[in-house]
Amino acid sequence: MNYTISPEFIPIIDAIEAHLVGKREPIALSLATFFAGGHLLLEDIPGVGKTTLAKHLSQVLGLDFGRIQFTSDMLPSDILGVNYYNQKEGEFIFKKGPIFTSFLLADEINRSMPKTQSALLQAMEEGIVTIDKTAYTLKKPFFVMATQNPHEEVGTFPLPSSQLDRFMCSFGIGYPDKASERAVLTGDTRQSSEKIDTLLSTVQIEATMQKASAVTLSDTLLDFLQEIIAFTRESGLFEYGLSTRGALALTAMVKSWAMLQGRVYATADDVQMVTGIVCAHRLHFKEGNTTALRISHEIFTKIHSDT
Amino acid sequence: MRYLKHLQDIKFSPLALLDLTYIVVLLPLLLILKIPMLIFVGIVIAILIFKRTPTQKLGIFFIFILGVLALYLSLYGAFSFRGLSRLKLFLELLVYILMIVVAMQRLTREINFYLLISPFLFLALSLFFYHGMLMLIYVVFELFFLLWMILSHRMEGNVRDGFASSMVMFMYSLPWVVVLFIFFPRISFEHANYGFKSESIKRMGHDGTMYLDSKALLVPSERIVMEVGFENKIPPSHTLYFRGSILYTDKKDHWEGLPIYVKRETKPFYATTGLPIKYQISLYPTQKLWLYTLDMPSRMVKGSTLDRDLITTVKKPVKEPIHYEASSSLSPRFHDILDKKTLQASSFFDREQNPQTYKEAQKIEEAYISMPKRAKALTHFFKMRSLTYTLKPDALDINHTTDSFLFDTRRGYCVHFASSFVTMARMAGIPARIVTGYKADPANGLKNYLAVKEEDAHAWAELYIDEHWVRFETTSTASKVESNGEIIDPNQSAQSTSNSLYKEVNLYLMYVKYQVETWILYYSHIRQLQLLDYAKKNPAFIVSFVLSLIALVLLTFIIIAYFKRPQYSSETLAIMQPLLKRLKKEDHLRSDEETLHQYLLRYSNSYPQKLLIAEIDRLYEHMIYANENSKNKQKELKTLIKKFLKQKNG
Repeated sequence: MNYTISPEFIPIIDAIEAHLVGKREPIALSLATFFAGGHLLLEDIPGVGKTTLAKHLSQVLGLDFGRIQFTSDMLPSDILGVNYYNQKEGEFIFKKGPIFTSFLLADEINRSMPKTQSALLQAMEEGIVTIDKTAYTLKKPFFVMATQNPHEEVGTFPLPSSQLDRFMCSFGIGYPDKASERAVLTGDTRQSSEKIDTLLSTVQIEATMQKASAVTLSDTLLDFLQEIIAFTRESGLFEYGLSTRGALALTAMVKSWAMLQGRVYATADDVQMVTGIVCAHRLHFKEGNTTALRISHEIFTKIHSDT
Repeated sequence: MRYLKHLQDIKFSPLALLDLTYIVVLLPLLLILKIPMLIFVGIVIAILIFKRTPTQKLGIFFIFILGVLALYLSLYGAFSFRGLSRLKLFLELLVYILMIVVAMQRLTREINFYLLISPFLFLALSLFFYHGMLMLIYVVFELFFLLWMILSHRMEGNVRDGFASSMVMFMYSLPWVVVLFIFFPRISFEHANYGFKSESIKRMGHDGTMYLDSKALLVPSERIVMEVGFENKIPPSHTLYFRGSILYTDKKDHWEGLPIYVKRETKPFYATTGLPIKYQISLYPTQKLWLYTLDMPSRMVKGSTLDRDLITTVKKPVKEPIHYEASSSLSPRFHDILDKKTLQASSFFDREQNPQTYKEAQKIEEAYISMPKRAKALTHFFKMRSLTYTLKPDALDINHTTDSFLFDTRRGYCVHFASSFVTMARMAGIPARIVTGYKADPANGLKNYLAVKEEDAHAWAELYIDEHWVRFETTSTASKVESNGEIIDPNQSAQSTSNSLYKEVNLYLMYVKYQVETWILYYSHIRQLQLLDYAKKNPAFIVSFVLSLIALVLLTFIIIAYFKRPQYSSETLAIMQPLLKRLKKEDHLRSDEETLHQYLLRYSNSYPQKLLIAEIDRLYEHMIYANENSKNKQKELKTLIKKFLKQKNG
């Protein structure tokens, strides 16, 4: 896929790439997801750099980093926080959970029980947490990067589709290519523990997000997008089509990706780039495995732009 | 417009497509249905509209009973096994049964083989009931419609795309159909009648006998008896006498021809005087033996016999439309030397029958010796009787018809005039006979085409004067013409000017119909040879033929191109087409998943020297995606593309 990242964002990507060699595309896509105001689901095997990506992304963006390692015995209160009785004060005091942060890494999210998983629901959708009838507003921006291992089945609770739908994108990082791997093996890279500089201020982040949502979608492109959405619903290839939230996610992602390339308008290329990762966790082929690549292929061999 | 656009996207279900097909196919057949059957069809349609669930077994049984009842009522009286030997009744029964079966099948709301095959059967059956030009057009339409529906079904109910594809298929076949139609060897064969009896004999305007009583043949119908195509323009109206049969014998209430046992001398053919004109006649079934030719035929019509009275007959009654060529010299007289029997037959009269007339005739016979003068006196006498020409005459005294007409009622039409005139001529010593046939009305003609209707049936007299048979228009002796109760001065033209536009249009349609029938419906081996012959003589015709064939092919391609034209989502993309075509020509093909930007990018990667591509790509992208689609930008894009194309050539 052809794309040129705007010079504005190259330093950010460079900084992260120093710790995640040869993975510019996942880094760029993560950035795009963040600027689109969505949450990200990383699906990959352990040890390809999911956590590394999360950690350094939060550092570059200068966000509070919170991490929850999901386990099967976790309770919602372990995420959201608890009210406890302070004997000294003689009243209940709310102790914030790890969710009260700007950048939340939900590691191995599918290991916890559905009850715990759903604790994230409201937080991800509305940016609000309700405990004992009191609503607490989360920080802004609030970005959840969840990871899950798609191949492990024992002791996991697959995320319900309502939960999956709340993630804007899902993709993997993948194995590094040969040269990058060699660099990692020879220790030619910087240590992952090394702290990197913050490159964007909160104001800049806000402004960039604004810019992303202001990207122009022309009528031609909207037609194209609608055709794609209709295709997922009517082609009969999928169990069920893209929801309206899915469609919204797709447009937001298209805009953000266009913005990342320094454009004020989105093109069909942007749509092609992000459709696969937006749909991968939302659509299921009736026959065979569902992958972002296959979804992309099936859609874009049948739905064409510029014809 | 938005609503219309929405309409285009409607997908028809297979049942809806099938219903459309049935509507089109059944339309002509509805015209032959009797009322009970129509009610049955109406009930079935009502059930289909108001009850949207499949009908249960009991309901279908009820419909079956209803259908049989409707069938029984429709064919009540006509329905017997003997009746079935008539082709039309048999086919009607088939149509009814098929309709009942289709109705039962359709109510189950499932598509099965019977429902799919029946439209074709209906189409075939309707061909038995109609074989005019309208049906020809309708059949072409039906075939197209069936093709359209089949393709639409194949395209999952997309009627719009189905239409385009069927139009393309249809157009592809058109030039071939025309060429095959003209050049494919034609075989003429007798019409098979499959052992069925012929249909009821229709009474025509002209008959072998001529009645004077209440049975008098007066068929004022607009039905066309024959259509005549002249080589040049239509001859003047006073010559348009089409000779049918000759009547010699007065049988009181009617006139007859000579009986078959009267053997007359056959005479060598006398060439008629005057330059003969040629014409073609399409004669519709008359169930009679006569062919009609203009007065006086100069040549025998192929396959017929011409007797000494210049009457053309065929061996078998005309039961289907026939086409023949004839030539006549337009003369009211022809030379003949009477043999004894003809003289006898044309001079015989019964003086007891019409004593009053006889007395008057005797006066004329005594007063004049020369035949022309006697004839003139006779005409004068008729004129003096102040006779009225009317289509609603009073009844004559059957035993004294001529007396009764000339001295009593004095009202009648051609039959009465001719009969009285001939009787009196014979009494005055002039051999005379009645000719029946048609006198065409030039108002029914256009250019070289003339239609002869039943209401044009006519009778006139022929008197033997100076070795010539001379035609006498007996009705011209009338002093008054009565039409629809009004009295019109006979000297003035009786044609009304009202409805003239309607008449003219109608005539044009008839003219076109005649041409189509002559050159398409009844296009035969002979016509084929004629055409070849004509082509041999006129090289210009070959050129114009080839040219029109090329024009047809071109038209076909234009229509095909119209329906196959690519549709672009935007004007900008249409502007890009020349460029894309060029790239394609250069074997730079766009892959399935590529966006235009990726495609152009790949191109400029493989040909880095072509800088214009990048510029075009950038401009295009801005126009399409950044809503910068102004006229100026379009112009700019056009110039860039032109520049690029030129560059390649250089």
